Amino acid sequence: MSVSNLLENWSQFRHFHPVEDKPHDPYKWAMSIDLDACSGCNACSVACYAENNLPVVGKEKYAHGQAMHWMRIEHYWDEDVGEEGGREFPDQGAQFLPMMCQQCEAAPCETVCPVGATNHTADGLNSQIYNRCIGSRYCSANCPYKVRYFNWYDYPSTDNVWPAEMTQQLNPDVTVRGKGVMEKCTFCVQRLAAAKVTAKSEGRIVHDGEVQTACQQACPTSAISFGNLIDPESRVHKQWRAQQVELDKDKQAKDQKEGGTELRGYRILEDMRPYP
Amino acid sequence: MKDIREDIAWAKINQDVLNSLENPRKLYWVILFVALAMLGVAAGCEVYQYNVGMGVANMDNPHMWGLYIATFIFWIGMSHSGTLLSAILHLMHADWRKPIYRFAEAMTTFSLMTAGLFVAVHLGRVWQIYYALPYPNERGVWPNFQSPLLWDAMAIFTYLSSSILFLYVGMIPDLAICRDRMHEGWRKKLYTLLSLGWEGTDRQWRNFRVTYLTIACFLIPLAVSVHSIVASDFAMSQQPGWHVTSFPPYFVAGALYSGCAAIITLFIILRYVFRFEEYMTLPILKKIVRLTFAISMVWTYLNAVEFASVWYSHDEPSKDVLIQKATGTYAPFWWAMIFCGSVLPLTLAFKRIQTNIPVLFAVSLLLNMGMWLERWMIVAPTFSHGIYPWTWDHDQWPSFVQWGMVFGSFGWFTLLFMVFCKVFPSVSMYEVKEMVYHRRQATKRLEETGKFAAAGKGAH
Amino acid sequence: MSQRHILALYSDFDKAEAVVKELRSTQIKGFDVNKGLIVKSPIEHPEVEEFLGDKPVHVQWFTLGGALMGGLLGFFLISGAQANFYAQIKGGKPIVPFPPNFVLTYEMFILGGVFISVLGFLICAGLPARRSPLYSSKVSEDQIGILVKSDETATNALKAIFTKHQALEIQEEAGK
Repeated sequence: MSVSNLLENWSQFRHFHPVEDKPHDPYKWAMSIDLDACSGCNACSVACYAENNLPVVGKEKYAHGQAMHWMRIEHYWDEDVGEEGGREFPDQGAQFLPMMCQQCEAAPCETVCPVGATNHTADGLNSQIYNRCIGSRYCSANCPYKVRYFNWYDYPSTDNVWPAEMTQQLNPDVTVRGKGVMEKCTFCVQRLAAAKVTAKSEGRIVHDGEVQTACQQACPTSAISFGNLIDPESRVHKQWRAQQVELDKDKQAKDQKEGGTELRGYRILEDMRPYP
Repeated sequence: MKDIREDIAWAKINQDVLNSLENPRKLYWVILFVALAMLGVAAGCEVYQYNVGMGVANMDNPHMWGLYIATFIFWIGMSHSGTLLSAILHLMHADWRKPIYRFAEAMTTFSLMTAGLFVAVHLGRVWQIYYALPYPNERGVWPNFQSPLLWDAMAIFTYLSSSILFLYVGMIPDLAICRDRMHEGWRKKLYTLLSLGWEGTDRQWRNFRVTYLTIACFLIPLAVSVHSIVASDFAMSQQPGWHVTSFPPYFVAGALYSGCAAIITLFIILRYVFRFEEYMTLPILKKIVRLTFAISMVWTYLNAVEFASVWYSHDEPSKDVLIQKATGTYAPFWWAMIFCGSVLPLTLAFKRIQTNIPVLFAVSLLLNMGMWLERWMIVAPTFSHGIYPWTWDHDQWPSFVQWGMVFGSFGWFTLLFMVFCKVFPSVSMYEVKEMVYHRRQATKRLEETGKFAAAGKGAH
Repeated sequence: MSQRHILALYSDFDKAEAVVKELRSTQIKGFDVNKGLIVKSPIEHPEVEEFLGDKPVHVQWFTLGGALMGGLLGFFLISGAQANFYAQIKGGKPIVPFPPNFVLTYEMFILGGVFISVLGFLICAGLPARRSPLYSSKVSEDQIGILVKSDETATNALKAIFTKHQALEIQEEAGK
C-alpha cells in the first residue's frame, strides 16, 4: 500500500540532496575540464555528434539557434583590442569554454518537468527519458546554462541531416530522437552502462580510465577528465581534491597557500546552488 | 441616476431577455462569422505546426517559450474577473452585479477553455499530453507533482470545473424560465433537461441559496490561488526577471485588471447586439469603470514595486533584464505596456469618460492590449537575456504561426462566447427581478418612514 | 383516502404570506400544513423562508465533508504516488516535498468542496425532480404559487381561503 510505504520510509523520502543525503555509492560520474589546456578545436563536439547521433541541422537552422550541439565550444575574447598594450586582434585573446550539461546534483530542470521525464540517477547523472517527454520545454526555460536542446523538427525524416550513406554510421546503441522531445548531454550513458555491466559480471567496480566519454576520447590535449568521483584513485577525484572542490558545498572555501599554485577549480554558477 | 428602472414588470424582463435568444441585431452574425474565420487561421497554423514541428513557430534555444505561454497567461488572467468579481460582489450584497454577472462568468469559462488550448498548442508532443494527468496505471508512473506546470493543470481544472458549476447552478432558475417560455425545438428539450425540473419551490430556493453562497466562498480563494500558481511558473524558476517574490499578487492584480477591461468591452458589445440597454445601464457601466480604474492603480503600484525591488536588489542578471526591457529590442513593447497599463487608465478617472461608450470601448481594448503586452514582456525578455551571457539572443521574432495562433484564439473565444449568449440567457432574469423587487421595496420603505431623507438629500 | 393537489397563484408576496398565515392558523381536517404546503416563487425571497418557518438546510455539511475528503485524498494520493513512483530525486529536493503537496492539497480541498456541495444541493433540493402535478408557467414569470396537497374533504375549505385572498387563478387536479 502506498500509504504504509509512505510512513515506513518517511525519513528516506524527506532528505535534501546533496547536502544531507548519503553520497552516491559506488558511482558518481563526474567531469572536470582544464580550460587552460583547451585549444578550442571542437573535436569533442564532433565526437559527440558522431557518438550520440546528433542531427546536423544545417547552416540556416544553426544560425537560427536551433543547433543540437550537446557539447559546444564557447568563445570569449579579451576586450583590450586597440588599447595601449592591448592585443592587435580579438582572436589573440580567445578563451574557450566547452559547455555541456553539468549533470547538477540539484538540477533546476528536474523539479519543473511536469511529467518527471528528467531525474537524478543513482550514479549521479541527470537523466532524460525521451519516451516520457511531452515537450513543455520548461526544463530548458529553467536551465541556467541553456544546455538542453529541443527537437524543433523531425530530424530523422529531414533531408540532409544524415545523408543516405551517413545513416549507416549512426550509433546503434543510441536512439534517434523524433520531433518534440528535449535532449541533452548524457555523459555517454550508453558507454557507462556497458562498462558497469562488464564490471559487475566480473565482480568489481569500473576502473578509472576503463570508460571514456566520446568528448574525452577525442580531446587532443586531454583537457577533459572523466571518471568516478567516489573512487579515490580516479583522476577526476584527485583533481577535485587538489582544487578543493567539494560536491556538497555551494561555496568552495579554499585555503590557498602563499606561494603555492593558484587554485582555479570552480563550478559554473555554483552560487545558484544547482551543485553542478 | 438609478442602476435600473424600478418599475420594470417582471414579465417584461423575461420577454426582453428571451428575445436575446431569438433575434439579435445583424451585427451578431457578422461577429460570429469573423470569429469563425479567425479560428480558421489558427486551425491552419496548428495543423502546419503539428505536422512539421515546433520549429515553424520560430522558437530556438534560448527562446524556448514564445507567444503561446504569454497568451496562455493572458487568457487565464482574463478569466479572473468574471467569477471572482461575481463571487465577491455576491458576498458583499452588491446587487448591481446581477444584470452583468452571467456574461462575466461565461467569459471566465470560455477564456479558461482558450487558455487550455494554448497549453496543448505549446507542447512539443501534444499527442502525449495525457502523460501530464495523474491517472493510475500499471507501471506506477505518475506525473511530477513538484512541477508548477502540474499545479497549473490542477488549478485550472479545479477553476474551470468550479466556474462551470457556479455558472450552471446560478442558471438553473433561468433555464426553467426558458423551458416554460421557449417555443418547441431542440433548445426547449435542452432547457428541459438542464433545468432538472426546477419549479421554484421553497425547498429548492432554500438549498439553492446556501449552495450558491458556499460555492462563491470557495471560488474567491480558488481564483486567487489559480493565478498565484500561474505566477509560480515563473517565480519558482531561477531565471532573472522571473525569480520575483512579488509575482503572485502582481499576477492576480494584472488578471483582475485585464478581466475588468474585458468585461467593459463585452458589456458594450452585448448591450448593443442584444438590445440590453434597459439592463446593462450606464450607471452600472460607471461602477465597473471605477473598479477598473482602482485595479489599474493597484497593478501600477505592484509593477513599480517589482521594478524597485529588482533595481535595489543588486542581483545583476535581473537588473540587466530590466534594463534590456526598457532599452533593448523589446523597448517599444515595454513602453507601450507602461502606457496602456498605467497612463491610459488615468482617463477613466474622468466622469465624462466613465459613461462615454465609444471612448470606453477603445480604451478597454487598449487596456487589454497593454495587459497582453505585459505578459509577453514577462516571458520573452528573460529568454533573450538569461543568466548565462553566451546564450544571449536579442533578435528572435515569433513567426506567423505564433501570431496566427494568438489571433485565432480571440476568434475561438468570441465564437464560444457569442454562441453561449445566443443559446443561454446572458442576463440573469430571476436575479434582475430580485434586484428590481428589493430596490422597489427599499424605495417604498424610505418613502413611508423617512420622507425627510427623500426631501433633503435624495434617495441614493 | 385519495389526495388532491390545488395550486393557487398570487400577484405578490404579501398576499401569499397572508394565505400561508391563514392556512397555518385554521385547522382544516385532512390537511397538514407542515407536509402539504409548497410555495413556488419566481425569485429567491428570504421572506418566504420567514413566513414558512425555519426549515433546516443541510448543504453545508456536504460541503464540509467534501472539502475535507478532497484535501485528505489529495495529500495522500500525491504523497503516496511520489513515494511509489520509481522514487528518484529531482532537483535535490526531498522525494515527498511539502510545499508542492500543500499547493495541490489546497486545490483538491476546494475541488472536493465545490463538487460535493453541488451534489449535496441536488440531493437536498431533490433535483432532478419529476414535475409536480400542478404547475403554471406564470410562476417562472411574476406570480407566486401556493401548492397544497390534501384529502379530498379539505378541498373546498382550502379553495375558500384561496379565493378570499384574491387568487388570480386556482388550478385543481382532476379527480381520479
